[in-house]
Amino acid sequence: MPALLTVDKLRSGYGPIDVLHDISMTVDAGEIVAMIGANGAGKTTTLMTIAGIVKARAGTITFDGQNLSGAPAHKIVRLGMGQSPEGRKIFPRLTVLENLEMGAFTRTDKPGIADDLEKMFAMFPILRERKGQAGGLLSGGQQQMLAIARALMSRPKLLLLDEPSLGLAPQIVVQIFDVIRDLNKSGMSVLLVEQNARMALRIAHRAYVLETGRVTFTDQASVVLNDPRIRAAYLGE
Amino acid sequence: MLLAVEPALWNSLTQYLINGLTFGALIALIALGYTMVYGIVELINFAHGDLFMLGSFASLSLLALLGFGGLGFTATMTDASSFVIAGVLIGCAILSVLFCAGLNFAVEYTVYRPLRNAPKLAPLVSAIGVSFIFMNAGLFWGGPQDVNFPDLISNDNLLGKDAAIRITYKDVLIIAVTVPLMLALTIFVKVTRLGKAMRATAQNPTAASLMGIDTNFVISATFVIGGALAGAASLIYAVSMNTISYQMGFQNGLYAFTAAVLGGIGRIPGAVLGGLIIGLVRSFGSAFVGEMWVNALVFGILIIILIFRPTGLLGTPVREKV
Ligand SMILES: Nc1ncnc2c1ncn2[C@@H]1O[C@H](COP(=O)(O)OP(=O)(O)O)[C@@H](O)[C@H]1O
Ligand SMILES: [Mg+2]
Repeated sequence: MPALLTVDKLRSGYGPIDVLHDISMTVDAGEIVAMIGANGAGKTTTLMTIAGIVKARAGTITFDGQNLSGAPAHKIVRLGMGQSPEGRKIFPRLTVLENLEMGAFTRTDKPGIADDLEKMFAMFPILRERKGQAGGLLSGGQQQMLAIARALMSRPKLLLLDEPSLGLAPQIVVQIFDVIRDLNKSGMSVLLVEQNARMALRIAHRAYVLETGRVTFTDQASVVLNDPRIRAAYLGE
Repeated sequence: MLLAVEPALWNSLTQYLINGLTFGALIALIALGYTMVYGIVELINFAHGDLFMLGSFASLSLLALLGFGGLGFTATMTDASSFVIAGVLIGCAILSVLFCAGLNFAVEYTVYRPLRNAPKLAPLVSAIGVSFIFMNAGLFWGGPQDVNFPDLISNDNLLGKDAAIRITYKDVLIIAVTVPLMLALTIFVKVTRLGKAMRATAQNPTAASLMGIDTNFVISATFVIGGALAGAASLIYAVSMNTISYQMGFQNGLYAFTAAVLGGIGRIPGAVLGGLIIGLVRSFGSAFVGEMWVNALVFGILIIILIFRPTGLLGTPVREKV
């Protein structure tokens, strides 16, 4: 069976500078794939290029059987890709409820949207308590929950998560990772970018290590987690 | 003696209030175009005032075509039936709204869109360039002098010929057009799908794209709506002032831009509040301080308010936690 997402020799960047050099990777349906790497390695650029926000300069991205070349971001969302971006990018002056409704912008099935809202509130009860509040007034952890819930509201086949643990208290990080694991158990495919490599590798099936825009290592997550070079470089040992 | 003076003073104050509010409502309508565009692409569209000016000339040309005078025309329309005048006004309204909306769309598409990812100064300077092009087009269209605009609406005082306070059909027209338009815009942005997409795009364009919003479409729509409001303002301005000129876009555009900044640029209610304040300052200022000090007063107040509230009166952005 072909992979859900196939990235082949992807090159992209900003202005005159190429940031990604021939990145190749796959995500199979039902997998959690972690992408780890130092600050500035190009993880966010990879996700943004896959999502169509940053334009690919060479290479191909195939998602769910479709070639994404040149497709604008808003069309890629409709193919079933949702993202919780780096820094969460919550709409600060929309309420929590409105933020979630924006997540369902591509959908027209009102009853289905209402169902999914309930699911989000069940997954993150704090969002129900805060649903009338402006998104910008939430704490960092609450904003992260909102960003994930907002991405899920489009009913994606693939969920891209960019540093969901960044800047959060340890118990919130554990809660977020539990949610990711549960989502995956119920069938969601996830591409997870993390600087918290240890946590990411524990829940992922496979992993890619990115260094200055190149994939330098890839294997089963358990293998990556136990590789001495990785432990030295990314796990602080 | 004192008792005799007081009612007269009250009447004057009421009159200044009426004049200020009507002019302010007009400015607010133009200010909405500045503030919506700034809110969504962080561009001060300096050409917006001149777009408003061209809208007036479009109406004037239609009137000339229909035989209602035109350039150099001075007589009032007292001989035409009110039914005909209403029809002519509706025709002018449709034309000026479509003309300004279409022109604003075209400028965004051909000038600002290619510069979307360029440094912010590039579109800003281009906007100043478009402003000059529009002004020259207006100069070509109407000539260097003030041009009379046919007096389609009666100047009679609705409160009676000898009443101390004047409210004319023109004042009523301004309020009857501006208030519903502003309410409609507020509701539109609050509840419709496109309105929500506009708010989302204004607050975070990248996140909006990730929600499946076609942000280019939303930006075009914003220019179209802002242009349409300027078109509506251009007609009621021309009809109530009866004098238009290629320079009117600069002066009124500056007031409108100031109104937008004063209220908190990017915020729709802010533009309305800012417009009303400017209208009132202008009206009371020219009465009590003197006509020649009005602009100094308007901008002095702007500076003082910005010193204490740099984001404008209603511009209290929610602090974003990172
Ligand atoms: N918008 C941008 N414009 C220019 N350069 C950028 C931009 N975003 C990121 N970069 C550069 O691209 C490189 C990769 O950044 P990024 O993808 O954010 O890395 P990571 O997410 O792994 O920390 C860095 O050198 C960064 O400075
Ligand atoms: Mg990053």
